[in-house]
Formats: sequence, structure tokens, C-alpha cells
Amino acid sequence: MSAMATPDKTSTAATAPATPGRGPGRRRNGHSGTPVRGLLPLIALLGLWQLAGSPDSPYYPPPSEWFAATRPLVENGTLLPALGWSALTFLLGLIIATFLGASLGILVGASRVADRALGPGLEFLRVLPAASLVPVAALILGYTMEMKLAIVVLPATWPILLTCRSARRSLSPVLLDVPRTLGLSRKERLTKVVLPAMTRPVLLGIRVSAPLALIIALLVEIVTRINGLGALLGAAQANFESAQVYGLLLIAGVLGYAVNWLVTLLEDVVSARMGTATG
Amino acid sequence: MPVHADQKSAAVPSFTCENLQVTLVGAAGANVILDGIDLTVARGEFVSVLGPSGSGKTTLLRVLGGLQEKSGGTVRSADAPVEGPPADVVTVFQDYSHSLLPWRSVRRNVALGIESKLTKPECAERVAEALTMVGLQESADEYPWRLSGGMQQRVQIARALAMRPSVLLMDEPFGALDAMTKASLQDQLQRVQELTGTTVVFVTHDIEEAVYLSHRVLVLEGRPAHVGLDLAIGLPSPRDQITTKESPEYLALRHRVYEAMGHGKRHA
Ligand SMILES: Nc1ncnc2c1ncn2[C@@H]1O[C@H](COP(=O)(O)OP(=O)(O)OP(=O)(O)O)[C@@H](O)[C@H]1O
Ligand SMILES: [Mg+2]
Repeated sequence: MSAMATPDKTSTAATAPATPGRGPGRRRNGHSGTPVRGLLPLIALLGLWQLAGSPDSPYYPPPSEWFAATRPLVENGTLLPALGWSALTFLLGLIIATFLGASLGILVGASRVADRALGPGLEFLRVLPAASLVPVAALILGYTMEMKLAIVVLPATWPILLTCRSARRSLSPVLLDVPRTLGLSRKERLTKVVLPAMTRPVLLGIRVSAPLALIIALLVEIVTRINGLGALLGAAQANFESAQVYGLLLIAGVLGYAVNWLVTLLEDVVSARMGTATG
Repeated sequence: MPVHADQKSAAVPSFTCENLQVTLVGAAGANVILDGIDLTVARGEFVSVLGPSGSGKTTLLRVLGGLQEKSGGTVRSADAPVEGPPADVVTVFQDYSHSLLPWRSVRRNVALGIESKLTKPECAERVAEALTMVGLQESADEYPWRLSGGMQQRVQIARALAMRPSVLLMDEPFGALDAMTKASLQDQLQRVQELTGTTVVFVTHDIEEAVYLSHRVLVLEGRPAHVGLDLAIGLPSPRDQITTKESPEYLALRHRVYEAMGHGKRHA
């Protein structure tokens, strides 16, 4: 019953290391080297600042002063909860934005009618500056966590929504016929074909959305002083604690860097598992 | 492999179309693509569909496969009207690179249609059997994007075979392959079809391929298209790439199909 194999150009022996499934693959090495090396100039700059700066300067205190000024926040137990609140706002906001953006994007991209009808409206909402929403959101929701979230979610949704929309629109029609001819249910078509095909565009969107969500989260905290790293920053600035401002800024920078690194890592792992893109 | 198709009443054809009409809506408005198609495909029959590019071969196949709505007439698969893809009819697409899921291994691509309907061991057995039929058992854990075009198309055929369909609809399955791979896959398909008694509707551009493989060749012609030629191919089976293609019967049949396609008349 076994049939003859065709004379194909690809020998299976050459491609034999078929580690079933996972394995982040080779590309990761290229990335893991960069986080430290890429930061060297910045570290050198901070060192220079330390050497050249005067501890009494009201605007440019050297890094050693930053740590001294920030330490009380750690000791009186305000920094850690603040970091927690900011991280929570950011993460929750990004997760909600991902769900919202992906599902709306896929829905809109799936229907030519919806795409035409909603396109301009989406474009308008996309260019609406997030900061301008603070007064409206504060008016409706008050100075609450929900308000913070609402303002983070909205701008973070667009990049994901738009990449998903165009990816869904350009999804090969053949890929959608496959599960139908194989008799898959509606649910299976979504979970086994459409959603996996959308993983890359979602990640692409998250790559843009994640830094945006962090910026907006901190910005809202600075403006509204609702608990979080941004609120501490705002307070430090209002009290002319310039060394503390720099210290908190550094922490915010590290946070941003970590977020970016995590997203890149996630993308690499997914790329290795998904192979070359479809469509 | 059990011959499922023949267990049902052989009198019920796999497909019956009466006065079938199909209209597609394009950028320039609605277009009648197929009109007045009358067609019967018997169980276990291998029917090829030829026709100029853009004549509606793919459209006809999609209607038979329940992937495209008709605008008039009737289409029946076995004895039920076609509304959506019938359970035992599977389409193999021309565009194999987009019809395999790149995030699934070959094994899991082949399992796609059966994994939720069978137990794990049953499913594994069927997948292994289907991969053996197309000679790909060694590549089961490979990913499709690391395979050659011919191998990818064989994965798609294995995925269809794993469903044990009573009808295979194939849209230029070997169109993008080199001559060697093509000949080899033709013979594999011929063997599998004889073994399983599966009905095959086979769209192709290649007149020689159509005559070589089929029990019957249809040629679409006109705009909107109708069945211009319906020619029985009475060549003995199993067929052979060399001896069959050298036989006078084969050459005569090939001649008739070429004529029906509008070739050779200009010089006459
Ligand atoms: N989605 C569509 N919407 C509107 N018109 C379409 C669509 N797909 C195909 N057509 C038109 O229908 C006609 C038949 O197309 P079809 O793909 O069935 O031809 P074909 O015989 O398979 O051609 P080929 O041999 O090139 O594959 C063509 O004229 C084409 O322009
Ligand atoms: Mg076609």
C-alpha cells in the first residue's frame, strides 16, 4: 500500500533535526547579547555625570544623589506599591487592549462592508490624542483606577486593532476554505485557523502598543496623582526634589526597557514556533 | 483500505447538476460565469475538467465542494442538495502553500480534519496511513515551510485522504510542479484512487494529464461556460506513463480533446 516517493530536491536527512514543537530557535542569541552592550554608552554617560556633576546642583544632581533621594521612598514603603500600581495599570490596560483590538480588528477586517463603514471613524479615534481624554474620563469615571485603565486602553487598542484588521483583510481566502472543506465547526475554524494566523499581527501591534500603554499610564498618574510611579514623579517634581525626579525617571526607564525586551523575546519565541508567515 | 464508496448504492451518483448557473460579483458588477451546466459524476469515477483560463473551472469545483453558492439550477451530492461543504467531499486546493498551516507540523496538518472526530490512537493511525500513501512518513515531524513544493502538495493530499472522503475535488493539484514530480504524483493518485474507489473531480490545464488519468474528460467552453465536450476515456487501467501514452487510442483521444480546446484548427 506504500507508494513510491517522488524525487524531491529537499532530502529529509538534511533537515532531520525535527525537534517536535517548541525550542526558541537560533535567532535568540542575536538578541540576548544586546541588552547589556547596547546600554554601555548610557552607563558611561551616567558615570561621567557622576564625576562632573556637583552634589549641590538644583537641576542636575549626579546619580549618587538620585539614589540617596529615592531611598526614603523605598524605606517608607511607597515606591514598591507605586511600582505595583503602575505595572498593574499597564498590564491590565495592555491585556484589555489586546483582547479589544484583536477581536474588533478581526471582526472589522473580516467584512468588507464593516471595513468600509467603520474605517474613517476608526481613523479619527486613532489620531485623537490620548491625553485629551483625561478630563472626559475623569468627569465620567472620577479619579479612579477604572479611569486610569480607560485612558490607557483606548490608545493602546489602535495599533493592535489596525494590524489585525489589515492582516485579517489580507488573509488568504484559501486558508479560510481549508477548515470548511475539512468539516471543522465554526468554533474550530476560529481557534485552529483564524486565531493562530492572527498571532503575528497581534504581536506586531503589541510591540507598538506596549510602550504606548506604559507612557500613557505614567502620564495619567502624573496628571491625576492617582497612585503609581507617575504620581510619585509628579509629587517629587511639585516639591522640587530634583534628585528624586531623576531617580524615579531612571526607574521608569528601566521599566520601559524591560517591557520592550519582553515583547521582543515573546516575538522571537513565537516566530520560531510559527515558521514563516502566511499571507 | 476498505472501499467505502462502493458500499453505498452504486446507482446514486456522486454529483448531479441540472441547469446549474453561477454568478460571481466582481468589481465590474455581477457576472454569470457558468450557465446551463448539466453534469453527472458516477461513484468511483475519475472526471477531469478542462477549459481555457478564466472559464470557470475553479468556480465549478467550488460549487461542487459547497464553498461557493449557485445562482440557479440544482446541485446534489450523493442524494442531498449541496448547501455548504458535504461531509464526505474534500477539496484539494491549487495553492498548497496557503492551504497548509505553517504553525503545525506535517503530522498535525494531516490530522486537522479528523483530530476532533476520532480518538487519539485512531487519529494517529489514520495520519500515518495517509502519509504512507503519499510517501511522506519520514517527514511527519517536519514543518510544511521546510518542504519542497511537491512535498507540500502531497501533505495536502494526505490531509484530504485522512478524511477517507468518498469524493476528492482537486483544483490543478500538480499545476506548479516540475515534470518528474508531476508524473510520480499522477501515478500515486491513480493508485490511491483505484485502491479506495474514491470519486475524483480533477481540474487541470494539462490535456495529457487529463486524458492519462481520467475515465471521462469535460471541456468547458463559452462565456458563460457550459460543458462543450464530454468524452469517455476508455483506456485500460492501470495506466502507464510510457506505454499508455504511446498507444494509438490515447493519441486519438488526446487529439479530440486538443481540437475541442480550439487547438490546431487555425492550421487546417
Ligand atoms: N471572487 C470572484 N469574484 C468575482 N469574479 C470572480 C471571482 N473569482 C473568479 N472570478 C471570475 O470568474 C471567472 C472564472 O474564474 P475561475 O477561477 O473559475 O476560472 P478558472 O477556469 O479556474 O481559471 P484558471 O484556469 O485560470 O484557474 C473569471 O472570469 C474570473 O474573473
Ligand atoms: Mg482555477
